Amino acid sequence: MQPTRILALAAALVACGAQAGEDTKVTIENRIAQCQGCHGIPDWKTAFPEVYRVPKLGGQKPAYIVAALKEYKSGQRDFATMRAIVANLSDEDMQAVAKYYGGEQAAQPAPAAQKGAQ
Amino acid sequence: MNRTLIVLALVALALPAAAASGDAEVGKKKSTVCATCHGANGVSVSPEFPNLAGQYPDYIETALKHYKNGKRKNPIMSVQAANLTPKDMMDLAAYFSSQQALQVKH
Repeated sequence: MQPTRILALAAALVACGAQAGEDTKVTIENRIAQCQGCHGIPDWKTAFPEVYRVPKLGGQKPAYIVAALKEYKSGQRDFATMRAIVANLSDEDMQAVAKYYGGEQAAQPAPAAQKGAQ
Repeated sequence: MNRTLIVLALVALALPAAAASGDAEVGKKKSTVCATCHGANGVSVSPEFPNLAGQYPDYIETALKHYKNGKRKNPIMSVQAANLTPKDMMDLAAYFSSQQALQVKH
């Protein structure tokens, strides 16, 4: 290969690297997409080691969601998939995930639940 | 196959399904102590305690089972689950899942 070609190839590789560097930035939307892969699908089930539906998170208490994520991260709560996912979550990520699922919805009981309480 | 056999086969198929699900009315009676933290309507009164209303029954049942066998650790729930039978867990799960609050957020 001619030196010019090698240089061009090297430059292209560097450019690719720089491009890839930008693309690997993980946003909170990416994080939530990871959650939604299971929790966003009605009736989605775990496969191993036991089979049951993954919990609904919409309307859950944000503080509880954060506490659960921290328990998975510390190893106090043990489920292989969740532990693998939370390994990359920062405290800010956890807060953002909790806000996404809980947020204002969680502040008040759903109308039907309120009705039941009366 | 004659009709009687078909009916018997259907009954046999239905029985395990019936046995595997809890009774929400019975669960309601057993849920008094749960309401202290999780709310009478399954919507908890404190931010630390999870809402249970509308949660999947199999998830609730599994969580209770894990608290009892020690797979999931929590000072409050371990004590509460220690005295529950598998039937209690199914009844409680049926009751809380019959309420409404939690949803699958799309």
